[in-house]
Amino acid sequence: MKIAIFPPNSLILADLVERKGHEALVLQKEIRKRVTDVEIDSPPLNITEEEPIKGLKYAAIEVPSGVRGRMAIFGPLIEAAEAAIIMEDAPFGFGCIGCARTNELSMFCLRKRGIPLLELHYPTTKEETMEVVNKINTFLDGLGKEGESNG
Amino acid sequence: MSLDESSKVTRMIILGPAANISQPELIRKLHMMELPLTIKSTCYGAVVNGEESVVNKAVEQARNLDYCNIFTKDRGFPPGDPRRCRAKRGGAREGFHQLEKEFELLGFVSEALEHPKKVSLKKPTKVSVDTFKKICKGVEE
Repeated sequence: MKIAIFPPNSLILADLVERKGHEALVLQKEIRKRVTDVEIDSPPLNITEEEPIKGLKYAAIEVPSGVRGRMAIFGPLIEAAEAAIIMEDAPFGFGCIGCARTNELSMFCLRKRGIPLLELHYPTTKEETMEVVNKINTFLDGLGKEGESNG
Repeated sequence: MSLDESSKVTRMIILGPAANISQPELIRKLHMMELPLTIKSTCYGAVVNGEESVVNKAVEQARNLDYCNIFTKDRGFPPGDPRRCRAKRGGAREGFHQLEKEFELLGFVSEALEHPKKVSLKKPTKVSVDTFKKICKGVEE
């Protein structure tokens, strides 16, 4: 199954999802398309003026172009997702997810999709981390069973 | 940028703090696989770049070296890309601080994968004065 993760660049989430045989929809795959494409207009920049226009699908014109540009990258991942894991309160050193409004909008879009969703808080202690890993593994095992029964 | 570059994928292989394999050993093992890959040695493990099927094979084999302590994730930019490489730009690479933050938890994640067990997140509460007095009386008697 294709599983969207939030933060979309999280190592722990992506790794746990792949360990269970699912496909993690990570941000890096979208970024790769934009930085290794031979037709890219301006090589040092991975966002062109096209992205804020594509972002209009997810956010209104009054919304800052930064949010719309980010949503042009996150949007296709959210649309492709068959299930999602959201980890809130991640430290804001998490690279490109430093934009709080984009994060709110992405999480809203994921919740609105009506797909199986697991919501967690970023762990800080050993006990919390173990609880998070247990919850993720249980959730992913459940998804496998659902897929089999539906298929 | 060549046409080949756009069909290649890059993955980071990260060693957890309790890994039974060292970083040079990991690089040596990756080279011994004799796969058509670009392998970059890094402080946290390695970055591998190549065709998707080959990279996936290498990652799978690398993970089997120490299943619970080796973590992998995708990377957008190829290794040594001048737009991201620290050698060309100076300062920490984008994504380094995130990796640093997540590395703090990798030890606990490894433990949870190796020895899964139920945990309670309830914090111990304070004992009321009355209960404490009763306990004290019990001990004195």
